[in-house]
Amino acid sequence: MGVLDRLLGRSGPDLATLPGALGDYARMPLPGKQAGLDDLPMLAIDFETTGLDDRKDYLVSVGFVPVDGDDIVLAGARRFHVRPPVGAGVGVSATIHGLTDDAVSVGIPIGEALDRVYAALTGRVLLAHYARIETGFLGEITRRLHGRAPKFEVVDTLELGRRLQPGSAFDEPKPGALRLWRLREEFGLPTYAAHDALLDAISCAELYLAQRAELAARAAAAHARPLTLGGVRA
Amino acid sequence: MHHPGDAIATEIRDDISMSLEVELAEVREFLAEHAPFSALSLEDLTWLVGRLTVRYFRRGSAIMAPGQDNNSLYAVRSGAVEIRDRAGVLVDRGSDGMCFGATTLLGGNPSQFSATAIEDSLTLVMDAATFARLGERSAEFAEFFDVQRSARMGAAIASQQLSHQGSAILKTRTAELATRAPVGVPLTATIRDGAVTMAEHGVSALLVMDGPRLAGLVTDRDLRTRVLAAGVDPAEPITRIMTANPLVAPPDGMAVDLLLDMVGRNIHHLPIVADGVPMGMVTATDLMRLERDNPVYLAGDVAKQPDAAGVAGAAARLPAVVSSLVAQDASAADIGRIVTSIGDAVDRRLLALAHERLGPAPVPYCWVTLGSRARREQALAADQDNALIIADEAGPAEVAWFEGFAELMVGWLAEAGYPRCAGDVMATNPRWRVRLADWRTTFRGWLQEPEPDAVLGASIFFDMRPVAGDSRLYDALVAEVRALAPESRRFLAHLSRSAVLNEPPLGFFRGFVLAREGDHKDTLDIKRGGVGAVVDLARVYALAIGSTAVSTDARLAAAIQAGAIAPERGADLRDAFEFISYVRFRHQAAAVQDGRVPDNRLSPAELSAFDKRHLREAFAIVRSAQSTLATLRSGSVS
Repeated sequence: MGVLDRLLGRSGPDLATLPGALGDYARMPLPGKQAGLDDLPMLAIDFETTGLDDRKDYLVSVGFVPVDGDDIVLAGARRFHVRPPVGAGVGVSATIHGLTDDAVSVGIPIGEALDRVYAALTGRVLLAHYARIETGFLGEITRRLHGRAPKFEVVDTLELGRRLQPGSAFDEPKPGALRLWRLREEFGLPTYAAHDALLDAISCAELYLAQRAELAARAAAAHARPLTLGGVRA
Repeated sequence: MHHPGDAIATEIRDDISMSLEVELAEVREFLAEHAPFSALSLEDLTWLVGRLTVRYFRRGSAIMAPGQDNNSLYAVRSGAVEIRDRAGVLVDRGSDGMCFGATTLLGGNPSQFSATAIEDSLTLVMDAATFARLGERSAEFAEFFDVQRSARMGAAIASQQLSHQGSAILKTRTAELATRAPVGVPLTATIRDGAVTMAEHGVSALLVMDGPRLAGLVTDRDLRTRVLAAGVDPAEPITRIMTANPLVAPPDGMAVDLLLDMVGRNIHHLPIVADGVPMGMVTATDLMRLERDNPVYLAGDVAKQPDAAGVAGAAARLPAVVSSLVAQDASAADIGRIVTSIGDAVDRRLLALAHERLGPAPVPYCWVTLGSRARREQALAADQDNALIIADEAGPAEVAWFEGFAELMVGWLAEAGYPRCAGDVMATNPRWRVRLADWRTTFRGWLQEPEPDAVLGASIFFDMRPVAGDSRLYDALVAEVRALAPESRRFLAHLSRSAVLNEPPLGFFRGFVLAREGDHKDTLDIKRGGVGAVVDLARVYALAIGSTAVSTDARLAAAIQAGAIAPERGADLRDAFEFISYVRFRHQAAAVQDGRVPDNRLSPAELSAFDKRHLREAFAIVRSAQSTLATLRSGSVS
């Protein structure tokens, strides 16, 4: 096992041999590039964290909702707070996610949070807006607790938003143009007053449905083949 | 779709259900703001949200198609959706909160309708099992989707008129008012016998009986003026001084109508008679039992005015009375009758004043009212519509006398708040101030040689009611119409065709009124495309069956009775008429409250979601009745 493997989180035990949710996730094959979008199993997920650095900052809240093809399945919607490490606090990040130390102190331990995420994510594509946060924190926490991180199949609504922007693919979009709420506005999606992990996950899922419909319409107009996961993944 | 993770997810569900409830509050609150979900308990709403899926439809994409199965109920979360029937005719268009898909869930597949997203739309989707379960949990939810509209219209009307404090008189029947047993003497009695009987019973009026039947009436005033002042011997038979065949009232009418009529005509005693047999007597003292702000007082004031300016001053209180009646939750039918009675009182008082000025008419005549007043459905903002039927014995000079009479009346009425009719349907128009024989000719022309345009303009004359003068002139005319109308196929065909011209709108879309062609209008003309549409339908049916009923409700009742309208359809129409009329009166009352001039144009902004929903329903009932009429009649037009 080389340095590269270690850097990429590919060292440590084979996750597929682990018991529990992470093992289940690792054993269950993910949809392939050729998988059609019509009934693609996905999980829209949003993390609230104390900052952007997955090595220094903490995960404080998780929200997710399954997306089966064209349906956002509210029955599977979940949100929970995560108890931070002893002595750590949410600090100034509270001003962004609105979560206080008191709120997160009654959250669940990080290991349990990880189990819940993997249980829900098993067999599903990870869907997020600016997915780097979710994949970064999920990978880092998993590596810390289990020695290595599993592979994710990812669709990022920010990336799809960039692709759907008018103008050349090489033009840099205007600042803020790819924010979740801004992109939703373009599709006439409703404005949500609240801001929390689950609502953001649902918002992201709704945006994905709108983007997917737009991409499908463009593909149909160009007489292209129906979209596959390979055509939308990050 | 099943994933291994689902089992664990189910396990997790319970221990975090508390926090989940908070999270999906956004969706739950959205539902709670829209019918029928607003009727669900918090518990059921929370349960429901956990069973919904969210689906997105791009502008122009089909959600349902005719001939295809649909197994979901959709609620529009954002965007807009249009429903069309198999023929592509627009049925509905809605935005946030609109529900569709229930017809196949209740009536079976495949769908008869198409549903298309006309904007990018986000929808909340419910499966059939969840839909059925909610129907079991909430009667209101089930009722919302019930294909039987009757129950819903009835409930909507009832919920508009919940409290009845202060308006008990509006619900009282004449029979309940006549509590005192009638006091009478036989035809053979002397004047003295009568006076003694009155003194013994302490009554101010006495019935003179021919066996069980009423023959005449004697009052305190008659004893004074016809006996004492005239020097008549009290030993004479009482028949000599009685008023023979006095005005009587049936027991099943509304007390308020009776009292309004009494004060309007300045009558102090009125026997209540069922099948010729008196059951009681209503006297002016019964008026004392009324509340001070009762409209009966206004009618009484009108009748007492010494001049036209005084009548105008009293009549100016009419809008305030309507406003107060609406506040008291009176029904539209009640308010329409009261506004009518006060209008009749104004006509009668002004006619009496006109005679004071011009002297008695040279020949008998009948002053008739037309249109909504004739139907006893008058609202505020109504023009005057009237005409004169002059006895046939009149020569040119006698007919000419009525010109000045009509000019005086119409001018005074305009001052009393009844603007001149834009269509010139007034007694001042020489065409509508003619002898009975001329009226017969005119009606025969309409009925037997109808021209489409003439029929359209003539329909108002088929809503006619005598207000003052010799009502036998009216009776003779209406008897002829009644006999001729059912046979006048072409006339009925023209009338039917014009009755379906004013199609009520489909409903409301965002801040606009949605017409069938998909046009958006800023305001709803509730007179033309609402109230008027039902009035036109009822008129056709009444004339076709040879009924002399004039009020819309009575005409519909007669049409049901005669089998011309199916009972259920008829009941729906009567309810729809009451609901639309009530919304109109409420709109007018609000204008009065705000110091604005009452009119018939409603802005969707002044309607609640409840109003919009039930107006939509009522409009659908009217449109459906219109298309039934169009189908029925199309066969008989040649």
